[in-house]
Amino acid sequence: MIRFENLCKSYKTPAGRHYLFRQVNLEIPSGKSIALLGRNGAGKSTLLRLIGGMDRPDCGRIHSDKTISWPVGLSTGFQGSMSGRENVKFVARLYAKPHELAAKVGFVEEFAELGRYFDMPLKSYSSGMRSRLGFGLSMAFDFDYYLLDEITSVGDAVFRQKSAALIQQRRQHSQFIFVSHNIQQLRQFCDVALLLDSQGLRYFDDIDLGIAQYRAENHV
Amino acid sequence: MKPQLDLIRRTVLALFLREMKTRFGKYRLGYLWCLLEPLAHISILLLLFGYIMHRSIPSIPFPLFLLCGVLPFLMFNQIVSRSLNALDANQGLLSYRPVQAIDLILARTLLEGVIGTVVFVLLLLGLALTGQTIALDQLPTLCGYWILLLLFSFSLGLLFMLLGHAYPESEKLIPLLLKPLYFLSGVMFPLALVPAPYQAYLLWNPLAHALELIRHALVASYPAGHVHGSYLLLWTLGLLFFSLLLYKGRANALRRS
Repeated sequence: MIRFENLCKSYKTPAGRHYLFRQVNLEIPSGKSIALLGRNGAGKSTLLRLIGGMDRPDCGRIHSDKTISWPVGLSTGFQGSMSGRENVKFVARLYAKPHELAAKVGFVEEFAELGRYFDMPLKSYSSGMRSRLGFGLSMAFDFDYYLLDEITSVGDAVFRQKSAALIQQRRQHSQFIFVSHNIQQLRQFCDVALLLDSQGLRYFDDIDLGIAQYRAENHV
Repeated sequence: MKPQLDLIRRTVLALFLREMKTRFGKYRLGYLWCLLEPLAHISILLLLFGYIMHRSIPSIPFPLFLLCGVLPFLMFNQIVSRSLNALDANQGLLSYRPVQAIDLILARTLLEGVIGTVVFVLLLLGLALTGQTIALDQLPTLCGYWILLLLFSFSLGLLFMLLGHAYPESEKLIPLLLKPLYFLSGVMFPLALVPAPYQAYLLWNPLAHALELIRHALVASYPAGHVHGSYLLLWTLGLLFFSLLLYKGRANALRRS
């Protein structure tokens, strides 16, 4: 379960304050994977960051009794001058017990299939390779919710297939919150939808209803 | 309380190991720079003032005097000056929930503390090998002052991190204010040599106390009547309390973008 209580979030811009959420009250029941729908700049990534505890709301709060991953995006938390292995080790030290370290690193190394690049500095990676590392890294740990920010859309076909299989397998005990512009993928993995636009944040307990509404409003 | 402490310990250790990798990774000689940097610093001062100062400080060998000033000061400076943009530089790390802003400063203090201590011991050993006698009968006192200095640096670093976040302009101003501190802390002259009215002003600076006390702990004949461990202790505890209080109040704002 994830519950938004009186959630507000705004940004100060040179043109005045820009409001993303005003007094949002919502509850998303347990056991549902969530698609975040909305156009670029609607605040999807901000919402993920709020859920992931990386950013704080102006008022209200987000309450959950589940463990939630960090927002897994293309660039979050990686250090460019360190190798993939060193970056993975760092996160594994944060989230795993010392004796599990080797197993976690092994999992990511095997899943990301980066070969020799795994020991090269991260700044030499393409965005596809970054996404493989980032996604694989988050999957090495057990969370109730994984927050994925367009991470699955950049990899090649082989990787997409592999990650889809892993997501399906994980969904037996974990849930996902997806930001993606790939509607097909959202329909495949998600049960419910959150639509984010100028009317605020709306919840649909059926993903197809949410997608239909999103399409109707944006004429796509 | 126990699992929370364990989490902090694990986080700080992870950050510590990470900093260690990134701090010297880009340089050719790597960790050797920990040693080369203060060595070059001391050598230059030794060349500049060696002859003059040697005659004016009879109570302590001049290289030892410099070592006790330069190394602690560099250690303090590394911790404090790089804390100013600690949040900006490590924004990505804060996406991992276990990482708290204060852990960044803790890890930095720990790393600089370890590096500073190892280099200090190595250079002392070097001096001993060249025939300098070094008395270690005050070792516990020396360690006490050393730890107090680290705690002081940590507290100021924490305060600077909060300042740097609240007022980005401080990243320009505070380094300017830190520069004269090098002279005001008596890194290259003993406070006992400063004439009476001015010495009192310099003694406001707790850092000057720290350096003089460290010298006195290594060389008993070095005059330390004008400095007091209790002054350094009070400053450190006061600053630590104040910084922690401010941090507690600002912890939420630090995460808000």
